[in-house]
Amino acid sequence: MSGKTCSSNSVIQAQKLVDQLRVEADMERMKISLTAADLVRYCQEQRRHDPLLAGIAASSNPFKDKKSCVLL
Amino acid sequence: MCDQTFVAITFGPCDCCGKASPLMNIYIKSEATNYCSFCVEVMATQGLQAGESAASLKKESDSLKKKLEEERAKLSDIELSQVAEKIEVLAPLSIKTRRVLKGHGNKVLCMDWCKDKRRLVSSSQDGKVIVWDAFTLNKEHGVTLPCTWVLACAYAPSGCAVACGGLDNKCSVFPLSLDKNENLNTKKKSVAMHTNYVSGCTFTSSDMQILTSSGDGTCALWDVESGQLLQSFHGHTADVLSLDLAPSETGNTFVSGGCDRKANVWDMRSGQNIQSFECHESDINCVKYYPSGDAFASASDDATCRFYDLRADREVAVYQKDSIIFGASTVDFSLSGRLLFAGYNDYTINAWDVLKGTRVSALFGHENRVSRVRVSPDGTALCSASWDNTLRYLGFGWATYSTVSKGFR
Repeated sequence: MSGKTCSSNSVIQAQKLVDQLRVEADMERMKISLTAADLVRYCQEQRRHDPLLAGIAASSNPFKDKKSCVLL
Repeated sequence: MCDQTFVAITFGPCDCCGKASPLMNIYIKSEATNYCSFCVEVMATQGLQAGESAASLKKESDSLKKKLEEERAKLSDIELSQVAEKIEVLAPLSIKTRRVLKGHGNKVLCMDWCKDKRRLVSSSQDGKVIVWDAFTLNKEHGVTLPCTWVLACAYAPSGCAVACGGLDNKCSVFPLSLDKNENLNTKKKSVAMHTNYVSGCTFTSSDMQILTSSGDGTCALWDVESGQLLQSFHGHTADVLSLDLAPSETGNTFVSGGCDRKANVWDMRSGQNIQSFECHESDINCVKYYPSGDAFASASDDATCRFYDLRADREVAVYQKDSIIFGASTVDFSLSGRLLFAGYNDYTINAWDVLKGTRVSALFGHENRVSRVRVSPDGTALCSASWDNTLRYLGFGWATYSTVSKGFR
């Protein structure tokens, strides 16, 4: 999107990029085996509270299909 | 005013040496100045430490990038889908279109739910912003903006106001009055001002601040009452198309995605870019946090959606299929984070199993691109906005209980 970068700009940009990369490199990271296990555990714990997975009771469903009633 | 400067040329006297020459508009500690290119060069070299030069900086940045790659690779000892093998497979979803919200005269570009779980706001290419009651299909409020392509709209946490913005380069807040006859335009408050279109906006935890993303390459945090710019976020090298605030328990961060194919995570207080992910092969159209705040997903024009783990600092899943060749424009998670709904330019919505990486359901109905998909705050329904001028409310049809596979009519 930006136009042509001339040499003076590239020095400033390179400096910014290096500073940014230094910040990112210093970050504390965790192993995926641990974080993935946490994600799975979160999903399983929240499953009961997720109506799209657990469903909702017929009485609280405003869009329940109407059943025909039988006159005895 | 918030803007980011790419190379822009004006002509006049330099602020540093006084000579008349082509000037570059630059910012020194947030102050705009105009320097000629020679003075910019001099200033740039003064900032370097002894022994540095453009070439040595480039070498250092390349080696840092490689080091980052190695660090990230060291931690990927397992795939997310492998960890998820033990959990049960999801049955296809039993939701269908229950309501079609008609009323917009042109493409619906954005929508947002109110916390009361039944109202929603939508904005359109024709400049109209409408507040609906999704159950009754009642249009409660409508306002026409002076610009077309209202790309972003958001509901305030209190439910008492909406914010919207687009090609007018601004984000305006409208307090919603109970008096239906009142013209909302009279209470309009212009809050954000960018130098290019506003692509996304959201209120923070209160009605007092909004966060915006813009085609000028920046994101910004504004105070609604005074319109003051509180913090600006520079780092994207192209238009920013989307942003999402972290769930409140996890602190003050937000994620943004843009045309530079990068998704950046920012600290709202300091303005610092704390993490960056460049995995997509094309523009990122939408980003959304996972409900726990430890991960986020992105949708892109490269027809894939991706899932990133913030603590492991890497992409952990790609949601794609050979049969899906159109770009994805929007994503949202279900309440538990197990399902990812993604809207595509081929008019469909796909529901993905976030952990296993497989598609659970494909939802059809729209007659043009799906521009926005949002799960309701109580998690019972999904609303989708489309270029076919309608919004659809997708909810349950029949009662299903804990084992989703058993349903009865």
